[in-house]
Amino acid sequence: MKNKFKFLTKQSLKRKVDTKWFKIVNVILCLIIICALNIDSIIKLFGGDFNENITVYVIDNIDGNVYDVFTSQIEASTSVLTSGSSNVYEIKKYDKTLEDAKSEVEENKNIIVLEFNVSNENVMEVTMLSKEYMDLTDMAILNTAINNTKVAYSIVAYNIDPEALTKIYENVEINRIFLDEEKNDTSENTEVIMTTVFPILILPFFMLSLILVQMIGGEVNDEKTTRSMEIIISNVSPETHLASKVVAGNLFVIIQGVLIGTYVILGLIVRKFIGASSITEGVGGYIVDIMDSIGNSNFIASLGYVIPLVLILLVITFVAYALLAGILASMTTNMEDFQQLQSPIVIISLAGYYLAMLAGMFKGSLFIRILSYIPFLSAILSPSLLVLGEVGVIDVIISIVIALLFVYWMIKYGIRIYKVGILNYSSKDLWKKMFKAMKNKNV
Amino acid sequence: MLEVKNVTKYYGNFKAVDNLSFTVKPGEIFGLLGINGAGKTTTFRMIMGLLEPTEGEITLDGKKIDYTVTDQIGFLTEERSLLTKLTVKEQVIYYGTLKGMKEEDILTKLDELLEKFEITNYKDTLIKELSKGNQQKVQFITAIINDPKLVILDEPFSGLDPFNVEMFKEAIKELASKGSIIIFSSHRMEHVELFCKKIVILLSGKSVIEGDLKDIKKKYKKKNIFIKGDIDIQELEKLDGVISVEEYGDSYLVKIENEDIVSKVFDKIKKHKNITKFELEDASLNEIFVSKVGESYEK
Repeated sequence: MKNKFKFLTKQSLKRKVDTKWFKIVNVILCLIIICALNIDSIIKLFGGDFNENITVYVIDNIDGNVYDVFTSQIEASTSVLTSGSSNVYEIKKYDKTLEDAKSEVEENKNIIVLEFNVSNENVMEVTMLSKEYMDLTDMAILNTAINNTKVAYSIVAYNIDPEALTKIYENVEINRIFLDEEKNDTSENTEVIMTTVFPILILPFFMLSLILVQMIGGEVNDEKTTRSMEIIISNVSPETHLASKVVAGNLFVIIQGVLIGTYVILGLIVRKFIGASSITEGVGGYIVDIMDSIGNSNFIASLGYVIPLVLILLVITFVAYALLAGILASMTTNMEDFQQLQSPIVIISLAGYYLAMLAGMFKGSLFIRILSYIPFLSAILSPSLLVLGEVGVIDVIISIVIALLFVYWMIKYGIRIYKVGILNYSSKDLWKKMFKAMKNKNV
Repeated sequence: MLEVKNVTKYYGNFKAVDNLSFTVKPGEIFGLLGINGAGKTTTFRMIMGLLEPTEGEITLDGKKIDYTVTDQIGFLTEERSLLTKLTVKEQVIYYGTLKGMKEEDILTKLDELLEKFEITNYKDTLIKELSKGNQQKVQFITAIINDPKLVILDEPFSGLDPFNVEMFKEAIKELASKGSIIIFSSHRMEHVELFCKKIVILLSGKSVIEGDLKDIKKKYKKKNIFIKGDIDIQELEKLDGVISVEEYGDSYLVKIENEDIVSKVFDKIKKHKNITKFELEDASLNEIFVSKVGESYEK
């Protein structure tokens, strides 16, 4: 029986992995992930208005020095706001009037004219002339540069000590004090970052749980509708059969998960090689920032036991998903019925995903905390709340114990449904039959 | 030897099989008959160990049928129990391995059987790409790949053309000659009559006829007389004990209540000079089936 279990597991896995569709889907998945991680480079490769140089004509009607100040300020603004990824600005001093410039702007949409004039109320005023709407980045850069030019001009005009002005503009230093000694401001920052990042990190779990449900449900349903089930079950017990599906399903999910991870790494490597773009640095830098934040927080010290606990919870939840999919599929007599029955599983998984995102917004929510103990939801919610500092390791352990008890309950009672379901081809009184089977020890 | 002893199966309050008993010895072909819903599938499933009898016992060579015994059983279901996305070779390896066979033994036996059933070319073809008849051949191969002690054949001739039916008949006879116990179910009574030494006819889970087919036919009082030549049909129909007279070209089938009527029929037709055939035969299994079950089994 042990060999038959191994054989069934191997066959089940082979039927999924050793197919041209698995290969095709993974090639597509690989390309999509690599492209998604390098989307900025791809967009730039195809070009567009954003790629064109902008010429800025400066009409300095103030004192002639504004032009120089503006030129230096626009370089600084470009560097700060876009890490150098945006359009290149060519700044030219324009000696004619705004009216004269209009004909040039009419002919060339990449010319922007800035006319600086003295203002009695606001130090200076600027007239901006362009043919069309400007994009948001250009507008932000020009606005920042103009305002900074005004400040720099004002320092001189009003005889303000530059050192004093620097102090005025500097951010206020906030000294954080936590009564809980275990907390520190780096961890606080990590929590803020993880609130945004975690839903992205758990997305693969959500995807994989759906793949798992579809794989096991589809196989059980296929074997049942082709009546192969009768031959299989006459040679191996239903328990062995379901166990082989659960193990094969989980192995498949692990393989697919590792492959997705590999594609992400490949995508990042590709970024590194073509990574001249600043967004590359931006994303890379963002990841580095997150890792630094996590590294500097207390959280890193607890990763040694947090990661294994979270992995255990994930594996138990995948097993629970697999068992539920197998049991539900055994009750159905065709693929359409199974697809309808799997909808609640998808909704449960989706609910867990949304709750994990909401957890960051509703800090300290008792409702979300209670839900984090519920099997299926716990796999996504519990680690999310742990990372956000909403629950402790003990809560994760409680979630694991509850998940284990749920799996035990499904094995004990679900297998009774499975035994009856796989040989039942009638949908008449289906639920009555299944509840009856669940109660019957000798099924 | 397969022994089904006083087996009863309930689904809730519904009695699917009612106190069924029969034995089949090695080399015997046993017919299990009944209309749809009579309890055949439940009986097959109990023999296969898929269902536990509520009462009674089923043994093969004295052992209760469980997963240590099912390796010695071959099962051909009425529907095609094949995984259509597999190739013929993969499918046979799949079921063969589940029967506890080693892959190299399966492949050796597979080549032999593919040749026997004349489908060698389809070894690496997907099941779904095969014709119905060839799918049935593959299903038959999977049922006998392990040289089973017990073979259950539920509608084995389904989807086969007459040429392939003959091929299957030979294969089934060969299995029996090698000592396999064969349980056979078919809607075609002529096949049952041809193969089966013993039969059971089920009605609502209960056996209504059981035993040696020859004895059953002999004990059945109603007989048939085949007559070839010119006869007066109306004259025969008026005779007491004549149930009906059916015309088949220049031949007639006269159904009578019992053997005592034969002389009366003969007296009536002997005056006709061109009678070339007058033959008394037992009633067909289908007639017996209809009279016992109340409806025709043949479809």
